[in-house]
Amino acid sequence: MSVDSFKFLPGSIAAYYRNMTVPREDPIPWTPMRKPLRECTFSLVTTGGIYVKDAQEPFDAEREKREPMWGDPTYRRIPRDVRQEDIGASHLHINNRDLLADVNTVLPIRRFLDLEHEGVIGSLAPTSYSFMGYQQNNTEWRERYGPEVAAAMREEGVDAVVVAPA
Amino acid sequence: MLVTNMPVWSERIGVPRTVGVEFPYGHAFGRPGDRAMQMLVIEAALGLLESAASPGEAVAVDIEWPQLLDEAKRDWQPLEPSPIVARMIEQRRRQADQTRRPADNASP
Repeated sequence: MSVDSFKFLPGSIAAYYRNMTVPREDPIPWTPMRKPLRECTFSLVTTGGIYVKDAQEPFDAEREKREPMWGDPTYRRIPRDVRQEDIGASHLHINNRDLLADVNTVLPIRRFLDLEHEGVIGSLAPTSYSFMGYQQNNTEWRERYGPEVAAAMREEGVDAVVVAPA
Repeated sequence: MLVTNMPVWSERIGVPRTVGVEFPYGHAFGRPGDRAMQMLVIEAALGLLESAASPGEAVAVDIEWPQLLDEAKRDWQPLEPSPIVARMIEQRRRQADQTRRPADNASP
């Protein structure tokens, strides 16, 4: 099967993206897997703009409303024992209904805990991470928050990361 | 390992390992409450982690989104236009107004 990357976009936005050029990583970064899955610690990353209600601030949607070219570049730490009812969402570019019903649609924490329980993977790390994906300028992701998250993952002994743009 | 509904960016940018899904935005792992669908996507990701031998490898999950396309295209979008989309709509409206006005003025 070949995936149509533009299938769900309105026509004008699809046309814009089809013609968009982006700088290419050369060479493509590469870290070989050095362990079997059953010995690996995983972490998960979403750009779905989720946060833990009452424990964390939502992403700054109010500033984005005032400055539509700006998107909050910060991130939230999502603990592996987070409860569905504690998940909040502040992403103005998608309908948050389904991820508020089941966070596994964007950050499959429960599924990875199942795999840990079944012995398919070694473990899910204590922390997964949530960003808000609307970024016109990714300088802060590249220079500050990305490296911060990578360092935190190393501290938790993470071997592999599953990243899912929302 | 990237799981995305826009694997075209992986090809353009250069991503080490990519699982492509033809799902609407906000649903990289599938439908809410659909454990089987979510696991199929995750199994594809884990399989690629084990099998990929060189950078740039990609696989596609062979699942058709179980919803009419027009409905799915509407359903993932926010209930209110995002601020940038709202601004673009307003700009287009103003441009349309300005284009109409000279013609209006030219009318007898």
